[in-house]
Amino acid sequence: MKKVIIIALGLGLAFNLSAQRFITKTGHIYFSSDAPLEKIEAHNRQVNAALDSRTGDFIFKVLMKSFAFEKALMQEHFNENYVESDLYPNAIFVGKISNMDAVDFEKAGTYPVTVMGDMNMHGKSQKIEEDGVLVVGKDGIQATSTFNLAIADYDISIPGAVAGKIADEIQIHVDVSLKPLNK
Amino acid sequence: MKKYKKILGIALVAFIMVVAYVWFFVYNKPHRNIEKAKADYELSAEVAYHTFHSGDPVQAKEYQGKVIQLTGQASHIESGDSLMVLVFVFEEGMFGDEGIRCSFLPKYNQQLASLDLSKEIIVKGYCAGYNETDVIMEQCSLAGPQ
Repeated sequence: MKKVIIIALGLGLAFNLSAQRFITKTGHIYFSSDAPLEKIEAHNRQVNAALDSRTGDFIFKVLMKSFAFEKALMQEHFNENYVESDLYPNAIFVGKISNMDAVDFEKAGTYPVTVMGDMNMHGKSQKIEEDGVLVVGKDGIQATSTFNLAIADYDISIPGAVAGKIADEIQIHVDVSLKPLNK
Repeated sequence: MKKYKKILGIALVAFIMVVAYVWFFVYNKPHRNIEKAKADYELSAEVAYHTFHSGDPVQAKEYQGKVIQLTGQASHIESGDSLMVLVFVFEEGMFGDEGIRCSFLPKYNQQLASLDLSKEIIVKGYCAGYNETDVIMEQCSLAGPQ
């Protein structure tokens, strides 16, 4: 966790030197679990995200207690038993666009991108590489992605009694609208 | 035989009642009504922010996951996708303004649109915690006269 914070602070310095930084604090991330016995979906609409258009550095900060579930009991189990949000309040992704040459931030358009980096959740860090789409417009950048995460990779164990209700892999949907930060 | 039937009938009714109780009050229990809940803590927005940002981590953990009521002068309101966020700003950081971000219940959208930000306001909501830049409040409502 400390390593991620140091990287994040390092990114902060990099961002300070950069010409163009795009941010949002109202990003939308939701996840869905499609298990044989139950479909679960939870939404978080106060996600922090920042993109440096010069270096391709990308960072996401997601407060786990901000995920809203349809059922109160699921939300309770998610926070208390699975992600232990009192102990590990945030999930943090720190990464980089690996195909920066394919994106022209000066020209409006839709650009498929690949983002590589470290996902830290539940005190466990994993390297991930996922595809997404950047839509560059005159007011900012829309970034979207859908990918899967295996919950076992983050030391999240599901008790046998509810195993049929929670999928081994959850689908993550990212939709953030980044605006230029003019400071 | 009649006695057994009676016992079986009572057992069946008891079983149905237990299943109904678990279904309605455990499995499908409603979310806590934050708007109507009594605040666990009442404090100024500035004190709340500094408790998370640089203050007492033990106290900050106390606020996390609780209903808290904040008093202070908000800086601005952000809106988009039917979500309105009232922002108290106290610092500048890598993500721009840093402070307390209160996302409101949609029923308050109209009231927020005409809110006089030059006056002190009272906000009540669920404190989701601190994301290393901002304190995040969810399901907020305006508490008391504005």
